[in-house]
Amino acid sequence: MHIVDGALAPEVVIGGAVLAVGGLAMGLKSLPTEKIPAAGVLSAAFFVASLIHVPIGPSSVHLILGGLAGLVLGWAAFPALFVGLLLQAVFFGFGGLTVLGVNTVNIALPAVLVWYLCRHGLQSQRPGVAAAWGALGGGLAIALTTACVGLALALSGDQFLPAARLVFLAHIPVMIIEALISGAAVLLAHRVKPELFATLATRP
Amino acid sequence: MRRLLPALLAAAALALAPLPAAAHKVVAAIFATNPAIEGEVGFSNGDMAADIPIEVVDPDGNPLGTTRTDADGVFLFTPTQRVTHVFRADLGAGHVAEITVAADDLPADLGQQAAAPAEGSPAAATAAVPADLDQRIAQAVRAEVKPLRKDLMAFKEHKNLESILGGIGYIMGLFGLGFYLAARRRLNTR
Repeated sequence: MHIVDGALAPEVVIGGAVLAVGGLAMGLKSLPTEKIPAAGVLSAAFFVASLIHVPIGPSSVHLILGGLAGLVLGWAAFPALFVGLLLQAVFFGFGGLTVLGVNTVNIALPAVLVWYLCRHGLQSQRPGVAAAWGALGGGLAIALTTACVGLALALSGDQFLPAARLVFLAHIPVMIIEALISGAAVLLAHRVKPELFATLATRP
Repeated sequence: MRRLLPALLAAAALALAPLPAAAHKVVAAIFATNPAIEGEVGFSNGDMAADIPIEVVDPDGNPLGTTRTDADGVFLFTPTQRVTHVFRADLGAGHVAEITVAADDLPADLGQQAAAPAEGSPAAATAAVPADLDQRIAQAVRAEVKPLRKDLMAFKEHKNLESILGGIGYIMGLFGLGFYLAARRRLNTR
């Protein structure tokens, strides 16, 4: 899921960086003090999640947790995921510093889209309905991220459909796992901290 | 929240327990430049990239030739021009590797292989020594060192608990700092 240095055309790298800066500004503006600890915890979860590998076929894929971050944080997912990606690049060499902007957009933009799509469903009084929306958000964020990765590769010269299909197929298990994790997280939050999603919706 | 904490800790412990090496980082290395450039391409978990086309270009992007990796991810390329060689491997889905061999590292007798044996007297003086002794020694050393190199590569890519915890610490510190700044701003405006 992390595109590495040198895989993309310079225009794509610059475009990604510009979009990422815009998203970061938007995220920092909409990050109330009360949400900073939540952003930190989700950033740390994202940082560690990429080390958990799901072996499939000849390769293996890792968890991303972008959807969950988006559901809880909204636009603030941008800074949270950016910090996680930055440290992954520095500590583990995942991705790279020049493609940091593109990777941030690829993972955080779907998170924000999912938030717009699912935030009303998450406030449902019935835990089952809210959990279903959470699961949908978790799975959809990964699907959209694969589309973004495919698009970034396509803009750099690869054929869009083969590249996107390859990434998409490899991540179907991740989508299922992330949907389950996000659904379970929403269910848990409903039990122990029902105000989590409600307060975030009134103050995006 | 108190009920949540043990559950979170248990989940973190479960998540951290099986830590396999990352599979999605591409590693590439050049390990011989004489007489041909020899290198390898693979993933950081030890899987080698078998049967992958390698594109060879000069720094300006002009093609110098192509080669392919074998089943062990090893490729060979015989340079014919004294320029910096850039080897590009595309493993698909955004996994690319690029390695550069500087012009200075190319074999000294580039393009003179045909002329070298023709010089009669030095060859006659060392008649007992096989002509390709250098190459044979280089090959033997390469074979001996190969497992060591693999170990070294695996070690370099190894992620230990310290760096994971260190990263989490950085995140906590960063967000703590943000929290502090936000709280101070709020206190000042009150």
